[in-house]
Amino acid sequence: MAIVFFLEKDIPEDNITVIEEQLKQSDLVLKTKYISTEKAREIFQEKFPDLIAIVKNLDINPFPPSFEATLKENSITSNKVSGFIDMMQNTAGVEDVQYNQDWVERIKSFSRLAKAIGFFLGGILILASFLIISNVIKLNVFSRKDEIEILQLSGGTNMFIRIPFLAEGTILGLLGGVLSLFMLFVLIRILPIYLGSSLGVFSELISFRYLSFSQCGGVITGGAVIGFIGSLSSLSRFLKPKNIN
Amino acid sequence: MIELYHIWKQYQRPHWALSDITLKIEKGDFCFVTGPSGSGKTTLLKIIFRESFPTQGQIIIDNRNILKIPNHKIYLLRRKMGIVFQDFRLLFHKKVFDNVAIVLNILGTPRKKVRRRVFNALRMVNLHNKMWEYPSHLSYGEQQRVAIARAVVNNPDIILADEPTGNLDTELAFEIMSLFKEINRQGTTVIICTHDRELIRNFGQKILFLYKGKLLRKESL
Ligand SMILES: Nc1ncnc2c1ncn2[C@@H]1O[C@H](COP(=O)(O)OP(=O)(O)OP(=O)(O)O)[C@@H](O)[C@H]1O
Ligand SMILES: [Mg+2]
Repeated sequence: MAIVFFLEKDIPEDNITVIEEQLKQSDLVLKTKYISTEKAREIFQEKFPDLIAIVKNLDINPFPPSFEATLKENSITSNKVSGFIDMMQNTAGVEDVQYNQDWVERIKSFSRLAKAIGFFLGGILILASFLIISNVIKLNVFSRKDEIEILQLSGGTNMFIRIPFLAEGTILGLLGGVLSLFMLFVLIRILPIYLGSSLGVFSELISFRYLSFSQCGGVITGGAVIGFIGSLSSLSRFLKPKNIN
Repeated sequence: MIELYHIWKQYQRPHWALSDITLKIEKGDFCFVTGPSGSGKTTLLKIIFRESFPTQGQIIIDNRNILKIPNHKIYLLRRKMGIVFQDFRLLFHKKVFDNVAIVLNILGTPRKKVRRRVFNALRMVNLHNKMWEYPSHLSYGEQQRVAIARAVVNNPDIILADEPTGNLDTELAFEIMSLFKEINRQGTTVIICTHDRELIRNFGQKILFLYKGKLLRKESL
């Protein structure tokens, strides 16, 4: 993304150098280009040959000199950008700044949207895995209901009867967590190969990265907890005695 | 001691599976429950081990009203009892040994002790040579004996046996009855549901006759 700083028309040479120095010192800026009054006119002439007659009829050259600063890719989303623009605007000799605020905003809201979608999908997946695990356990409990019944009638405590199912649910959740981490790992490896070059600027926004060690632990623990609660919920209905008969 | 007071049980209107049963079974009794099919024998047993709740009435076992025991404590009642179910309720995916061992495993009995006691129980019903078979490979009578072994393996205070000799020939039935009698001599209360008049004549001490859910006669021989 480029920002254009328009300078005052009769700006002294010294000021131009100062501004250029300032631009170059900022770590947001990749490169700068000075466009003099004459150069601006040439560009205009090139781009709009039909309109050049109007300009020629004017006594003065309407094009102010300017600096075009190209920002580094990864600084576009940085919140330092607006501070930088403000600072430049207050520099002596700079008359106006032109940049596509819209575009900056759009990119920011895009990354917000991406995050929201991420959370939404994450929530759905957690719910889905909860339901899947509790259903797996329910089927399991159902297929072993004779065994549960005989355990109950022989004097097994509810805890004793629950433990194998709870263990199974927890292990399922744990394995699920490990598997998803593995798949994430593979995905992070593979996806940039296919998308990397075409994503350009967006690859910075999406910023593929591995989870930290504690986040990995969180995913696995979370899986185990989901499995545990899932199996507990499907068991509670089954272990109630049939008081009706 | 098992006491039933005015027990009524209705599964479906308008039939009463049990009506106004009041009886007392003393500790150490050897008791038969008999009566025609559908007279409520199984229902009576189910109420005693609280698989089923009576519609009305109270049951006291060892001075506790078992209807008031909360669900999470009911295992304490069941551990006093060994039950032979009319339909056996064996687990067909487990070997004979494991079917019997269930009762001991629940209590956290050490492995070695489990092996010894399961073997002894199976030998009592003459099935120790089929210990590592699956129940589906056994005859009906053999399955029934597995169910009996499971009921006695834990030396329960009370044995409830629902038609325990229903599929056995007379000779084997007498053998099983002798086994129950032997267990009874050591102080265990035994309650047996049966149709078999021959057995009752030979082993009966206390007999409860049920007819259409009513306790028709109590007899002590
Ligand atoms: N779960 C149930 N739902 C509805 N009715 C039942 C249920 N169990 C038993 N009954 C009814 O209650 C009555 C008594 O049944 P129960 O099984 O106690 O008889 P039983 O004396 O054990 O008979 P059998 O000698 O054939 O085993 C029968 O009329 C039966 O149809
Ligand atoms: Mg019956």
